[in-house]
Parts: sequence; structure tokens; C-alpha cells
Amino acid sequence: MKRITIALLGLLLLAGLTAVAQPKLTIWADDVGTPVFRDIAAGFTAVTGVEVEVVEIAFSDIRGQFNTAAPTGEGPDLLVGAHDWVGELVVNGLLDPIDLSARIDEFNPVAIDGFSYGGLLYGVPYGVENVALLYNKDLVPTPPATWDELMQIARDITDVEAGVYGYIVQNPDPFHWFPMLSACGGYIFGKNEDGSLNPCDVGLNDPGAVFGAILFDEMIEEGILANGVDWDTMTGVMFSGNGGMVISGPWLIGSLRDAGINYGVAPIPSFSCDDGTVGIARPFAGVRGVMLNSFSKNKTIATEFLLKYIATEETALELFALDPRPPALLSAFDQVKSDPDVATFGEVGQNAIPMPNIAEMSSVWGAWSDAQALIGNQETDPVMALIQATNQILEAIGCE
Amino acid sequence: MKRPGLASTLVKIVLLCLLDAVAVWGVIILGSRGSYALLGFLAVGTLLLNFVSLSKRAYPLRYLLPGLIFLFGMVVYPIVYTVYISTTNTQTGHILTKDQVVTQLESRTYQPPDGLHFASTVFQDEDGQLVVILSDDAGAMLVAEELEFLPLAADDPRLERDGEGRIVAVGDHVLLEGLAVFSVLSELETRRYTYGTTYLQLSGIEEFREVVPLYAFDEGRNVLVDLRSGVEYTPVEGTFTAPDGSVVEPGFRVNVGARNYTDILSDEGIRSDFVRVFTWTIIWALLSVVFSFALGLGLAMLLNDPYIRGRFFYRSVLIVPYAIPAFISALVWLGLFNTEAGAINRILQDLFGAAGKVPWLQDPIWAKAMLIFVNTWLTFPYMMIISLGALQSIPGGIYEAARIDGANGFQRLTRITLPLLLVSTAPLLIGSFAFTFNNFTVVFLMTGGRPPVLGAATPAGATDILISWTYRIAFQGVRGNQLALASAIAVIIFVIIATISAINFRFTKALEEVHRGV
Repeated sequence: MKRITIALLGLLLLAGLTAVAQPKLTIWADDVGTPVFRDIAAGFTAVTGVEVEVVEIAFSDIRGQFNTAAPTGEGPDLLVGAHDWVGELVVNGLLDPIDLSARIDEFNPVAIDGFSYGGLLYGVPYGVENVALLYNKDLVPTPPATWDELMQIARDITDVEAGVYGYIVQNPDPFHWFPMLSACGGYIFGKNEDGSLNPCDVGLNDPGAVFGAILFDEMIEEGILANGVDWDTMTGVMFSGNGGMVISGPWLIGSLRDAGINYGVAPIPSFSCDDGTVGIARPFAGVRGVMLNSFSKNKTIATEFLLKYIATEETALELFALDPRPPALLSAFDQVKSDPDVATFGEVGQNAIPMPNIAEMSSVWGAWSDAQALIGNQETDPVMALIQATNQILEAIGCE
Repeated sequence: MKRPGLASTLVKIVLLCLLDAVAVWGVIILGSRGSYALLGFLAVGTLLLNFVSLSKRAYPLRYLLPGLIFLFGMVVYPIVYTVYISTTNTQTGHILTKDQVVTQLESRTYQPPDGLHFASTVFQDEDGQLVVILSDDAGAMLVAEELEFLPLAADDPRLERDGEGRIVAVGDHVLLEGLAVFSVLSELETRRYTYGTTYLQLSGIEEFREVVPLYAFDEGRNVLVDLRSGVEYTPVEGTFTAPDGSVVEPGFRVNVGARNYTDILSDEGIRSDFVRVFTWTIIWALLSVVFSFALGLGLAMLLNDPYIRGRFFYRSVLIVPYAIPAFISALVWLGLFNTEAGAINRILQDLFGAAGKVPWLQDPIWAKAMLIFVNTWLTFPYMMIISLGALQSIPGGIYEAARIDGANGFQRLTRITLPLLLVSTAPLLIGSFAFTFNNFTVVFLMTGGRPPVLGAATPAGATDILISWTYRIAFQGVRGNQLALASAIAVIIFVIIATISAINFRFTKALEEVHRGV
């Protein structure tokens, strides 16, 4: 008798589980996306009857949790993420491409480039960000136009004893170092003929990159650039008004303003390269967007929500209001570029290159950061350090 | 033995019934998901639990069982799982099963730019069966009741039209409008319809397109065929590979046997990194324990001296480092040790000028010194507490006798205190060595394994200990993570720690004999 009861109970439960077939969208978003998507989800539910659940997850946790959850079918239909996750998620088989061909011209090409992998688009971008030169107008009245001018200003006002730094930048930190390396031709991965990235063509030992590394080494040796500066040290110096100039991104603006710093945003100074040309810094662009889970059971509905509700001007402006990341949708960007800070970041961004989105990038960060540390610590000469890093990367990736 | 009362028996049976009900539910869920290993574990565990609580003979087991369950769930299962992962190729690009990958590849399609496209309307009967009608720009119509589209005449007798000529029903099937359209999309998108020799598939809310499947998997020959080029891909170590070496992503998980272990042992780069990291791990664990024990014992002996006033106060204050969570104090110390702005360098610079700017985080030797200093600070209270306890157990009479025999303070320490103290503390010292050996928190939070070492083959910095090195390999690997290789290293660490524990047990036994001798 007892057994029959238990079996019946089990069957009832099973029936209850299978009856829930009403489509429902799940979205994983960060603290910025969550309120905005909840807002627009209400309108979507009214039109389609499809319930939308927006789950808030810390941005840095989304990637790892998605990698774990998606293969078991527990993942969301859509997720907010950065463009440089695309390579890893695609080789893991967790993303489906999105057909945006009809509206491709409406978006910043750098943003589209960032989310493209193997000729397909794996995310709809909503924000692009890159670094520029931020300066404290009280210490540096006019921003430098060339790197030589920047070094002269640093020479004039740096006073380590008093804790005053003319120019400061996070290091070792390849992201903030790349503008120096790229200005005269350094690059991370070369491109194949079809435009895709070639992991076996690493340009960290390119003469242009070596030029930037030697400059970095000389600045440290001369004592006009502090070695071993983490985020906390950099912000501590800048927020106390003791920092003249810093290469950083829009994420620093809000706190600078809160700290009462009379700041300005300027393009990254130009470099005079060894071959006599003027080198324009090409910082990394980081793109945020929304991606589609390949294990989603509601791809058509998810795509509808993504293209008709998320990829709109209103949503882009709402996201911008919460987090001043220049919108990837050009019409939305045009509306906010009256803000001079946004306009300058946008101007620098025209030369930006998306951070490589192929999975092999994972082996670059560590080796590259180590190279910068070895140069900064005055342990290895710049040429040797970059050659060593390049070899280490090529060996790890398995190139000949 | 007293017979249990009716009430307690009833409570027991009700609780057992609830437990069994939950277990049966769990078994059904696991079964429907195909997790048979967990299902078996749950079933066996539940049966065992029932047997133990109902059988009189198994009465003693009732006290052991909870412990055994936790032992299995939290110790044995993770170890077995780690060993299992270390024999696979689990890493970025190889996280799905072969079935998942084949399903995904077979569902991949290509939409030819000049292919057929239609507007669609969907009809549903009371049983939920769907009928789809497609119409192209020219007005020609197709209908599908099963998975095949057939031409449909405009005057087909099954069609029912409203006043405006719109089709509102096909036989028993009624037109889906408004919200209802969305309720069937997720079911429709999984269907691949045929139309003559072409395939049609849902491509938007109300549209169908001609699609061309890209891959087909031949189960019998175990090859993946690219339907457009005809190239055949065979699975090689979890990746579909063509004869010319090109591959189809994603890859899948396969068993690779002992390959990860042979990689660690045979790869020159990995091996030299392993040896370097292992050496530093031993030094780190040994020095941390020796320094913290020396400091802890010294303070304990001071506090044990009855002539010191305010012993309770000192003891309380000295335990503070132990009471603050290690990850908070590690971060505080990191700030103090900051090369540019840290308080320690500020003080040193005031004292020694420019020479006082010590590169704590940039120079390998200083970074190691800093780590050992901080870890000593974190662990000396523990050593002090155990030494305080052990000192109490040494009879005072022995010291008196030694004093009469003319032993000085140093002799009393080395001949009496230390030998007697070590009897009870040596096992704890060995335990704390094993703990420090794997003390990930301090290393990871303070230096993250840096500063880097020139020429390292893997991400192995100067202050990386085995466990932090494993972490960096696992999550900062070539293309993302390398869980399988990291698991293999974890297993090797496990073997080392197990050996230390075995020696520990031997040593404890030996000391017990010494103690008996005394």
C-alpha cells in the first residue's frame, strides 16, 4: 500500500513538472542592466504574454556561472557580457549567432567588430568604452598634446617625497599599457586574410611595441613614473588631488567628481615613433552587449526581445543614464555626445581596437603582465622581456 | 534497554516517510535528467537509512551513519571526482558531452540569401496539435500538418474564412492570434519541416525560411559530414578533425587516461616550474611554522610567568590576529606593504632615506619575506594558545629539581621544556605544516603568486605555492581554463599531503611511546 502511494505521489509530481510549458524568458544581467531590463520586460509581457525574469548577478560572476549552468540547461536565455568572452563561450558551444544584418549600420563598427567571431555576430552591443587621458586641472592647466610634453610635465611636478605624481598609471596592467605599445604599430594578434584573428601571429615583440616598452622603462628609470601601482594606489593618489594625469576610463569619472577634483578629459598624447612618424595611441575598446544562449529553449522569443526591446535607442539611453558608457547605438550616442567627456572618450574610441575576443587571449594577459612587471622592476631589459613573453604565449597556444 | 514509546515510534515513522518521499521525488528528477550516478547514490543511501533506522541489528550504525554520509559526500566524492576529471580532457572548448555537441552541430543551418521565405500563420486544435500555413509574396500557400509542407489550394474545403477573407480555421484547428502565437513559438522553432527537397524552419515570430543543414553525424561510422563540402570529420581527442587538420568547434569531453599526468612529468617546462614551486612551498610552510611556533612559544612562556601583571589583558590582545579573518588582515597588510604609498615604506624611508623604499611586491626575496612575516603574524596566536596549554601540563617540580642540580635557564628550556612540550604539540605542528602547505588565501590575496619569473613555461610566479599555481593553471590557462591538468596537479598535491599525514601518524605514535617512557 505504502509503495503504491509513493509511486502515485511521484507520478503526480512528474505531471506537475511537465505541465509548466508556458514559455518564459530568463535574463542574467549586472546591476546596471537589471533595473533597465525589468522595466522594458513589463512592456514585452503585456504584448506577448511571455513572462521575463531578470536575474541580477555580479558582472564578474556571469561568465563563470554561465559556463557551468548553460550545458546543464540551467542557463538563461539571454545574458549580459563583455565582447572578449565571446571566443571562450563559442568554442565551448554555448552561444548562438544573432542575425543583425538588416540593422548593422546603426551600430558603432568597433562594437560590431568586438562581438564578431568567425564571421558571425554573437551579441548585440549596447556600450563601448575605452581609456583616455584624465587630468587634474589644478595641477595640469593644459593637457599635453605629445608624450614628450607629458613627460616634461611629469618631470616638473612629480615629488615622490610629498606624494605628488605628475603622471600615474596602473601597472603592471597590460590593458592600460596597450596605448603606449600600439601607437607605433604594436599589436596583440595579427589578422588572417578573412579578417579573423590569427593566434599564431603575436605582435608583442613588434618594433612598435618595443618602442613603447623602452619608453615605459625609461620613465621608470628616470623616476617620473611609479612602478607597481594598483587600482587602490592610483585612485588614492588621484582622489587626494596629488595626481596630475592618468590614463583611465569613464569608470573613474564619477568618483573623481565625487572627490571634488577639477578634472578634464583629453585625447591620449601622440608619440614620435622611431621611424619619424607620429604615432596615435590605439587603446583597447571594451564592448558590453547581450548574448544568446545556444541551449535556450526560446530562441525566437529571446531574439525578438533582444532586437525589438533591448537594441533600441530608449534602452540605450536608460542604460547610459545609469552607467556613463558611450552607447554603441549611433543614434543614442549622438544624443549624449553633448557631454564633453563622452565626446572626448568617443573621439579617442575612433582609433580604438576591440580587445581580442579569441579564447587564446587568456594566455596573453598573464605573460604580458609579467613582462611589464619585469621591465618595471628593472629586472629585465624591455626587448628581452617582450621577446620572452611572445615566446611564452606562442608556446602555450601551441604554435610552431 | 527500554522499549521506545508509541509516540516516538510514530514520529520516527512519519519522519522516515517524509524523507523517503523526498528521496523518491529526487530519484524521479535525477532519472529524467539522466544523472544515474547521483541517482544510484541517492537510492542506495536512502535504502541504507531505512535499513539502519528500522533494523534492530543495525542499532550501533545509527551513530556512525551521519558521519559516514558526510565523509562520503564531502571528502570521498570530491576526491573521486577530481581524479575522474584528471583523466579527461575537460578544459575550455571541451565542456560538453559528445551527444550535446552532435545535437548542436546537426541543428546548425545556413540560410541561403536567395532562399525561399514565407509569412506563417499557426493553427491549433484542442489537443494542442499544430498546423502551419505559409504564404509567399505571390500569394501561393503551403500547409503542414506533420513535418512536411504541401501545396494548399485557396479553395481547399478545410479552410474557414471570416468576412475579410482571412483564414480563421483549418478543420478543427483554430487560428492563433495575439498572445497565443508566442505560446507555441518555442515548440515550433525546434521543428525542421521538409518541402520537396528543401528544408523550412521558423526564422522569426511569423516567418519561415529555407534552411540548409550544415552537418550530419553518421552514427555507424562515427564521422561528422560537412554537407556542403562533403569533408568528413573524425573525432580526435574530443574534437571533430578533418584529414587536413581543420576542426569543427565546439569540442567535447573524452577520457584521455593518464595523459595529463604524463604531460606534467614529461614536459620540461612544466616539470621545472613544478620543482621550483614545490621547493618554495616547502620553505614557505616550514618557515611559517617554525617562526610562528617560536614566537608563540616565547610569548606563552612569558605569559606563563606568574610575576607578569595583566596577563589576562596581554593574552586577550595577542589573540586578536587569530580572531580577525585572514582575508581581511591579509588585505590590510597588503596596503601597509605597498611600495609607493604603504605605511611601512614611509617609515623606512624616514629612517633610511631612499634605501628604505623596499620593493615588497616587486622583488622575489622581499615578497617571500613579506608573505612569511604576514603568515607568522596570522598564526602565532594559535601556537601561543597550544603552547600555553602544554606548558601547564609540565609539572613544576621538574624545574625545581633542575634548578637544584644547577641547570641554567637555557638548559631548562632545551632539556626540559622543549622535549616535554613537543610530545603534545608535534602532531599539531605537523598539522599546521600541512595546512600552511595549502594556504591559498594568504598567497593569493597578497601577491597572487607574483612577482613573475622570467622564462616560466606556465603561469608560475616567484611566490606561487602549489595550490595557487594549480588555481592559475586551472583558470588562467591557454584558452581559459584547464580543469583537467589542474585536477591532475591537485591529485599530486593530495598524494604529497597524504604522505605527510601518514608520517604524522607514525610520528605521533613514536612520541606516545616516548611519553610512556617518561
